[in-house]
Amino acid sequence: MAEISLADPPNTGTGFADLVRRHQSMVFSIAQHFLADRPAAEELAQDVFLQLHANLPNLKSEEHVKFWLRKVTAHRCIDYKRRHTLPQVSLEDVAEPGAPARSGDPFVERKLRQMVASLPEKPRMVMILRYQEDLNPDDIAEMLAMPIATVKSHLQRSLAMLREKITRAIGEVTI
Amino acid sequence: MTKEEDTRNEITQLEEALHRTFRRQEAPPDFAEHVFAQVAEQNSLRHAAGDPWWKALSIPVIRWAAITATAASLVIGGIHYRNVPRERARGKAAKQQLMLALRIAGSKLQLAKARVNEINSPQNTNPRKNEEVKD
Repeated sequence: MAEISLADPPNTGTGFADLVRRHQSMVFSIAQHFLADRPAAEELAQDVFLQLHANLPNLKSEEHVKFWLRKVTAHRCIDYKRRHTLPQVSLEDVAEPGAPARSGDPFVERKLRQMVASLPEKPRMVMILRYQEDLNPDDIAEMLAMPIATVKSHLQRSLAMLREKITRAIGEVTI
Repeated sequence: MTKEEDTRNEITQLEEALHRTFRRQEAPPDFAEHVFAQVAEQNSLRHAAGDPWWKALSIPVIRWAAITATAASLVIGGIHYRNVPRERARGKAAKQQLMLALRIAGSKLQLAKARVNEINSPQNTNPRKNEEVKD
């Protein structure tokens, strides 16, 4: 892949400014889905791009930048969560449905978000990278510096737990 | 539908729901502008603080000058270091020669002093008496 011009100053329409505009939703979404705290996610995502700006000379291609952004965002999210003792979301706090759930129902989505938020940091990040970024276990393992078997195990256990809890929570309703 | 197929179907539906739930969200509208403002602020702070001295090494001329100066210092230092034992040996030999010369000079001086004392002794100061003795 040809090298891209990364070191251009911001606001020139090329280089760094382009990278920010292209990847801001990816970085922000990972942080937002993981932290479930919009101001904190925004601040963290901005810090990730500031770090990107400082590291531009070491990044040689668009793919490298994308990998780097996901990796740094994931690690920063996990560190942030460990440093800040945010209140844990309890599944019991989830309101019962007022109406039957349908495909794409906001209630099901909210419920799933809360269930994923109740997972420990690493399995939670594995789920977000799998279902937001559509990454395969190999990529996730490389990004989070963990064995592939661990990633697969996190995915299987989390899915089994979600399936069980969502079935219990909303009954035999079609997701 | 078997129970296994039923489970697989449920997992597929769950995965589809997870994809929908965790679809990307748009960043706030002024997100990029905030990032650029922070980058500009950091740059101005860095300029105000001044670049560290090693940043100058990124300029090729300065880098080569530093490499040349370091290499020259190492060569000169090496030569000097190799010459130190030789200089020391030469100094030692010179010291020994000087000591020998001083010893010789000392013994000559002792001899001369003895002769002077001999000449100045009372026996030698009265010539007539000396002649008597000779006779």
